Amino acid sequence: MLIDMPDDLAVRIEDLSITYKINVDTKKTLKNAVMRASKGEKVRMRTVEAVKHMNLDIPHGSVLGIVGANGAGKSTLMRSIAGILPPSEGRITVNGKISTLLALGVGFNPALSGRDNIILGGLASGLSKEEIANKTDEIAKFADLPDGFIDMPVRTYSSGMYGRVAFAVAVAMTPDILLLDEALSAGDAAFKEKSFLRMRELVKEARTIVIVSHALQTVKDLCTHAIWMHKGEILAKGEPGAITEKYLEFLNVGTLPSNDEDF
Amino acid sequence: MAEEKNEAQAPRALAYAPRIQVFEPHRASLPPIRGYMREFWRRKRFSLELARFADKAEYLDSNLGKVWLVLNPLLLAFVYFLLVTVLRGGSDKAHGFTTLAHILIGLFTFYFAQNVISDGAQSITQGGRLILNQAFPRTLLPLSSAIRSFWQYLPTIPVYIAVVILGKIFIPKADVHIFSWALLWIPYVTACLALTAFGMALIFATMNVYFRDTSKLLSYTTRIWLYGSPVLWLPEMLHGWHRVILYVNPLGPALAATSEVWIRGHAPTLAQLIGLLVWALIAMVFGGYFFISRERDFAVRI
Repeated sequence: MLIDMPDDLAVRIEDLSITYKINVDTKKTLKNAVMRASKGEKVRMRTVEAVKHMNLDIPHGSVLGIVGANGAGKSTLMRSIAGILPPSEGRITVNGKISTLLALGVGFNPALSGRDNIILGGLASGLSKEEIANKTDEIAKFADLPDGFIDMPVRTYSSGMYGRVAFAVAVAMTPDILLLDEALSAGDAAFKEKSFLRMRELVKEARTIVIVSHALQTVKDLCTHAIWMHKGEILAKGEPGAITEKYLEFLNVGTLPSNDEDF
Repeated sequence: MAEEKNEAQAPRALAYAPRIQVFEPHRASLPPIRGYMREFWRRKRFSLELARFADKAEYLDSNLGKVWLVLNPLLLAFVYFLLVTVLRGGSDKAHGFTTLAHILIGLFTFYFAQNVISDGAQSITQGGRLILNQAFPRTLLPLSSAIRSFWQYLPTIPVYIAVVILGKIFIPKADVHIFSWALLWIPYVTACLALTAFGMALIFATMNVYFRDTSKLLSYTTRIWLYGSPVLWLPEMLHGWHRVILYVNPLGPALAATSEVWIRGHAPTLAQLIGLLVWALIAMVFGGYFFISRERDFAVRI
């Protein structure tokens, strides 16, 4: 197939719509479905139109911040760029290797060590075992894990350690495109500084980052572009300072608690 | 899965090898199958390592745990043997031993299929975070459960052989073969059985995403399934049209063939060989379609 993609673009989104159905029954069981069927009722489903006819170009070497209220479709958009949730309509073209941090944590198995979990995550993303094994010590160092913790079961980790390892894994895979969904709230001020530096390094190498965050200061500090999503559509796009300001106006900041800035 | 293509005209300044991926709506709910299979093959090592790590996590604290994997069906076989012989009002030693050997190999084989199905059924709902965070062919998760079940099945074979050798020492008249040329059929029988069970695991894994009580229901279903399979009874006990029972059961031909090869030292019958292949194909085609066509839903329903 012919792929029409300008060289300077990392991601091109054309007329993208994503819908899916969810079961709104409280009990998602076969027993419940059979009981309903016996009464002549259907399982209650709801169609979610998470993204509606969206167009967006993300150039190489840019940091795109996505802001918006809960349910705006931000996470769905991220999943579809990652290839986890294919479009219902339209097309997404991605130029480069993707690394994701969409659901916090590297772990699948808390009984296994950090090292084992990192290897599994890397294999799932298509890396070779040798490639990942070489990086585990670097990851442990970046995540500021105390000595020996990389070989301890993940269940012994503090929540901060857990989040830091997850972030370290995502950036260690030297992605061309890094997708981060609310992933920057892990760690203390020093770690935040370190992760900012690492992200800026990635961008210098013409790599691309897409961040979903409720922490508007992060979006202002780190991003080169921003979009404001609302109910599956882009309400505004442009310079991060202006977009976050518009979004703040919409949120009517005066009524929001002061701990809104979690980063 | 995404269509991929190397991008030759990418700017040289980029310090990486770019590749283009295109995500488009699936046709008839199915992703492009060639791309899917390519990704599946590329990441097969993940399934293998996941199986290895899952094993490691489960038996981290006890090596005795693994012994139970063999001991459990072994003890169960003795219980069933007692039950069957008592119900039948007892029989001579030689015949009794043949029955025991049949139950033992049947139970080991049935447990292999049961583990592929029941562990595979839970593999998607238990792989939550991985499914939410990364794009990869989800069939790799039940495949990993199948690999692990196979590893657990392997040590049961030498246990069976040891029991038969001991039995033949104490009861020389026992009519049970140990080694025969027919054993060469075992890889074929096992491969077809594994594919059949894997196809069914794909069906139940998908159902478990929609209805979380599927795996619970499965534990009762497999118990009834065991009674309907030629494990506690011999295939030759069925005559005439009753023999249909052997073939409508997806595991029937495999279990009948296993007994034929191990106990009698005969090659499987033609009907068994065909039955094995037909069930493997049906399970893989239906299971594969059912699972892959609903993979998109997994990320929003987990």
